[in-house]
Formats: sequence, C-alpha cells, structure tokens
Amino acid sequence: MKTRLLTGLLSLLMPAMVMAGEYDLTVDRVKIDTGDFVKEGIGYNGVSPGPVMRFKEGENVRINVTNNLDEMTSIHWHGLILPFDQDGVPGISFPGIKPGETFTYEFPIQQAGTYWFHSHSGFQEPDGAYGSIVIEPEGREPFRYDREYVVQLTDKHPHSGDRIMRNLKMMTDYYNRDQQTVGEFFSDVSENGFMNTVRDRMAWGGMRMMKADVEDVHGFTGLINGKGPDQNWTGLFEPGERIRLRFINSSAMTYFDIRIPGLDMTVVQADGNNVQPVSVDEFRIGVAETYDVIVRPKDEQAYTIFAESMGRSGYARATLAPEKGMEGSVPPMREPARLTMADMSGMPGMDHGSMSGMDHGNMDMSSSGDMSGMDHSNMGSMDHSNMEGMDHSNMKDMDHSGMSGMSGMSGMDHGSMAMGTEEKSDPFYAKGSGLMPKAANGGKFLSYADLKAQDPLYEVREPTREIELRLTGNMERYTWSINGVKYEDADPIRLKYGERVRFKFVNETMMTHPMHLHGMWSIVDVGAGQWNPIKHTVSVQPGTTVYMETEVDAPGQWAFHCHLSYHAAAGMFRKVIVEGGPESTQAKTDVIAKDGGEV
Amino acid sequence: MTVSKFLVAAATILLSATTFAAGTHGGGHDHGAASGEPGKASEASRTITVEMYDNYYEPESIIVSPGETVRFVVENKGNLVHEFNIGTPEMHEGHQEEMMMMVEHGVIQGGKLNHDMMSMDMGNGKTMKHDDPNSVLLEPGQSKEVVWKFTEKGDIEFACNVPGHYQAGMYGDVNFE
Repeated sequence: MKTRLLTGLLSLLMPAMVMAGEYDLTVDRVKIDTGDFVKEGIGYNGVSPGPVMRFKEGENVRINVTNNLDEMTSIHWHGLILPFDQDGVPGISFPGIKPGETFTYEFPIQQAGTYWFHSHSGFQEPDGAYGSIVIEPEGREPFRYDREYVVQLTDKHPHSGDRIMRNLKMMTDYYNRDQQTVGEFFSDVSENGFMNTVRDRMAWGGMRMMKADVEDVHGFTGLINGKGPDQNWTGLFEPGERIRLRFINSSAMTYFDIRIPGLDMTVVQADGNNVQPVSVDEFRIGVAETYDVIVRPKDEQAYTIFAESMGRSGYARATLAPEKGMEGSVPPMREPARLTMADMSGMPGMDHGSMSGMDHGNMDMSSSGDMSGMDHSNMGSMDHSNMEGMDHSNMKDMDHSGMSGMSGMSGMDHGSMAMGTEEKSDPFYAKGSGLMPKAANGGKFLSYADLKAQDPLYEVREPTREIELRLTGNMERYTWSINGVKYEDADPIRLKYGERVRFKFVNETMMTHPMHLHGMWSIVDVGAGQWNPIKHTVSVQPGTTVYMETEVDAPGQWAFHCHLSYHAAAGMFRKVIVEGGPESTQAKTDVIAKDGGEV
Repeated sequence: MTVSKFLVAAATILLSATTFAAGTHGGGHDHGAASGEPGKASEASRTITVEMYDNYYEPESIIVSPGETVRFVVENKGNLVHEFNIGTPEMHEGHQEEMMMMVEHGVIQGGKLNHDMMSMDMGNGKTMKHDDPNSVLLEPGQSKEVVWKFTEKGDIEFACNVPGHYQAGMYGDVNFE
C-alpha cells in the first residue's frame, strides 16, 4: 500500500520535472492564393497551411487555440498518442471550441517523427485548416541527414467544402471531368469488338460506377507548402548533402504519386514511425499519410518534386535547387488510370452481366485484352488443358523445358508469377487493378509490403478477436458507410482495454479508402510478422482485403473513419469506445456534450 | 501447390543466375590501390572496435595514416543484419546491387542470414557467400574481425550496403592523417 501511495505522489510530481512548452494558435479566416485562383479559406496564425509545430519527445505541451471564426472549430493532432479528451474530435473527445473562445490542449509528447494537425469540424480542413508537426526524438535518429524540409501537399479546390458536398450529394459525378467519352467507346470497340465493349459498359453501368471513378473530386490545384505548381515552392541544398523530406498528404480527397526525377528516395519513416530504409523511385501517398524520405542530390542542378494525383486529374510541383530561381523540367502527367474488373471484384453478389456463367473453356484468350485483370487464382478447378488459344507469349523469360511436372499443376496461379522484373505487382492491389502503381522510370514503386518496422513497438501476440469492417457505399446516392450502415445509424465499436483486436477491412467499393483509427496504432499486416509496421492511416484498395491489428491501450472514446473528407461526412465513420483501463481515465466520456457533435 | 511454388522459385533463381554472374559477388571486387588491401594481423598497429546499431556505426569516423594496418573488431549490437565494408563510394555503390540480390533471394531477412541459401551453387560455381576480405556481414549479436592495410590516401568509407542502409546514412569516414 505504501509503495502505491509513493508512486502516486511521484507521478503527481513528475510533470513538474519534465520540460513544458507553451504554444499559441489562432484560427482565422485567410486568403488562399494558388496561382490559379484566389479563395477565402481557414488557416492558423493568419495563414494556410498553418505553422510547423516543433515538439520534443518527452515534453509536455500546452497549446492555446483561439477561435476567431464565427463558427465552432477544433484541432485534431493527427497520429499523436494522447489522452482521448485532448484528441480534438467534437462530439467524441470534447464539445468543440466556440467562436471567440480559447481552448487549451495539454498533453505529453510520447513519440517522435512527422505528423500533422487539422480541424475536425465540418469542412474546415479542406478549406485550409491544417498544419504540420515535427517531433524531435529523445535519442539519435537511426539515420543521418544534413537538412530537412516539410513537404505538405493538399488538393485546393476553388469551391468550399460545403458546396462540394452539396454538389456531390446532388450529382455524384459533378466533379468528375474524366468521364469516358463516345470516342473512347469507339476505340474500345475497335480493340475489343462491339459486343465485348457493350457488355463491359453495361456491367459498369449496372454497378452505378464508371471506370473513370478513380477520384470523385476533380478540378483542384495541387499545393506543396501552400504553393501552386507555378508558384513553385523551392527547398535549397548544397550538392552532396543528404536531405530529409517530410511528406505529408493533407488533401481532402486526393492520393498523390510522388517522384523526383534523377533522385533515389530512401524511405525511412511512414506515418511518423521509423521503418527499415527502402530506396524507391516513386511512392503513392494516401490521404492523411506521411512518408519521410532521404535524398542525396549530388549535382549542381535543380530537381523537380512531381506529385501527380492517382487519377491524373491534377498535380503538385516543387523544386529542390542549389539556388533560388533555378527550375527543373516538369514532366507531363501520365494517362489517367482506368478501373478494371479486378477493382470491382470485392463487390458481393455483383452481377457481372453476361460474365457470370462464362465458360472459360471456349474463351479466346488472345483477344481478351480486357481480361488482364482476371485473377486466375480463384479458379481452383480450372482446367488449363482445354485452353488452346491461351497466349503465353508475354512470358518470354520463362523456360518451360525444365518443368516436367507442369501438366499436373492445375492450381497454378499465373497472376502472381514474377517474370523477371516487369511483372512485379503490389499485393495490396487487386491483381490486374487499374490502380496498380508503376514507377514512371520503370523502377521501384513503394508498396506497403516494403514497410517493415525499424524497431517494433509491440511484441507479436495472437489477437484476442477479429472484427470485420466492410467498406461500403453507393456511388449513385453518394452514401458511404461501414458494413452498410452510416455513422448516424450505427452503434459504436466497443473494445476492451488490454485486448488485441484484428480488424479485417473488406473494400466492397471501387474507391480507395484511407482508414484512420484515432488514439491507437494500426499494426498493418504486411506479412512480416514481428516487423509489421505501425501506422495511423491504412489505405484499402478496391477489391482487396487488408488486415491490421490494434493493441487496445488507450482508454476513452475515439473516432475511426475514412479520411477522404466527403466520405467521412457521408457516413464512413464510427465511434470506438474502449471499455475498462486505468480508473482515472474512465467515465469522463459521459460528460462530453453533443453540441458541435458533427464530424 | 507446394511443388509448383518450389518450381517457380527454382525457375526464378535459375533466371537470375545469369544476371548474378555479372555481379561477381564472392569473386572479389576490384580492390585497387584506392581502398587498400587485406592486412596481416601481425602487422596491425592497433585495434579499433566498431559497433553497429540500427542503422549507424559507432564511431562514425576514424583517422588512419597511409600504410597503416588496422585490426577492426566489428560487433553487431542492433536487431538487423549489418555489413562493415571498406571501400570507395563507387565500390559501395556497385556492391549495393549485389546486396539487393541477396535480399531478393531471401539471403538477408531482417535480422537473419539464410546460410543454406548463401552457399548454394548458383549454377556457375558462384555462390552468394559473403567472404570478401574487406567486409563482414553480421547477424545481431555476432562479432568478427577485419584486418585491413590502408596503403595510400583515398576517398574511403566503411559502409553497410544492406539495401537502404547506406542511403539512410550508415557509413563512416576514413580520414587520413
């Protein structure tokens, strides 16, 4: 008993002994100039994006947030591990910050790395209410660099978030400028034949989806650190230096494919957590994710940071240069991605039109260009011996001569056979997915499968249970949901303090969803066992199933949602309640008022 | 299924064996005068202990005099496989491709080395044994020695060429007096 009392006293004294930092943020109406247009938006300390908040691991921070708007606001510290009542989600963590009021956040910094912060009220975040967080570790970093830059991306739209949401609800393809055209129909006809093309179009129409539905909000200007492509944000370097670039995707809706032609990028952190370094030519950054890379420009020249949106509807551009004013060439955007049948393979009970009863035996494989996305692995009983027309000509590097047992291999998976380097596919995409990333220079494109924890935070153990979350939606009515139920109609997900839950995400829609669990780490199952990385945002591609595990070690109640702003607002959102845990943190949840309780 | 997987794996290895021969791993690098030559332990003027962590060295720089032979005691104190390799930046760059191949073939797996795979005949008498005299490749907890003679001044680094490690900054400078 005595020791307990002593510990209690000590922990009371502890905060006085650690460093404490005080910070001020104001939430303001600001002007945002993208170079393409000027709009009114919301920012911090008078600008959008807001400042880089620099913290030190082990520090206690006090952040005074003053709301200068005429509406409620909030700040969520994205990726930070903190008490739930400091997490900044109105209606879940706290009531929100009223106009004219100052709210003081106070929490210990228990981690290091690159993170960001943003409003969790209405559409203030798409309207510009975001900034970055850089936390210096207590010890040394497991890598070296001479200088560093935050590279924060967003998809700035001329319309306000409220207006975009209204328009999407009214007409889901309102912002999709990339619809398939009559011309494309005829070119498909000439390539694939008339009946195949009609059948294909009818299958897609039956799903109320289009192949061009990679992104639902086009018409934005990509910004890096608040600068449009023509305003060209520039980071300076001395040739030979190692530069750490802290990429943060603060977009409302847009995934970016990022490359710096002429430079290898060595990824050393994902979502603020150190990963075993992996050198890549290009990587895709999901909404709300962060990646830290180290680059080493050796020549006295300018390098372009080029970030094309995943659907190629826009891009962001910045420059690394030895001197201000130097510019590298800006590559053209690549062809827009088209979703394939593979991307809708996750949709249950889907009527493939005339494809459902298809007899593969009679299929002329050599002319079925559209079938490239077909997953042969699920056709367990398929008899290859009848497929006379099958064209092996693409497998040129393969030597069949030594494989005497080949005829008996009926279950062989042709899709996953790596033929040299050209057919490398990312296991986190449906086989044959139209979204399958490819490096512009034919080189290495980062996959989740490459992410391995540098120093795993948690021991591996068996999960106590599995929770299936089907990501669902109806594009035609612009409703997005989990297990078919939208947020306002759903019961909270109840977890028990101390358990380890395995979440199974099944993406039954044709869009990519970056799922963000607040307050606790998402241990993504990349098949690396004890080296599985921890993240705060996990992308789930169409037609795929992704597993993540969570050590339920944070009491209270938390938000869990798709980080695409308009999907979250439409209902792809859940409240998570963690039951049990240290006494001091319990029951306070009842106090939280419901005003301002909107996402 | 298992059989087919094995066959595919075997085919992949056969395929890359051709490419691998070009890499001449284990066949010795071009250790020109640029980085020095293997030394004799009896001629070593001193012993330098180099500790390897995830992913950095301690110390991160050493000072030697031209012609000096140094006995390095290299200890892997991290949780991942690391290399200690003496060479010029160009030599490291060339070696990195070979190390990438070792990862792709499952020879280096995070914190483990697959020794069976390392000594497997690649079909042309070559193996993926990592036995050059200018380097050691260590699992966590292992310790080995390298005796090296720095014959003349040069642009020399000791480096870990496990993919990504050098790029992330796992190297140390060899400075000359």
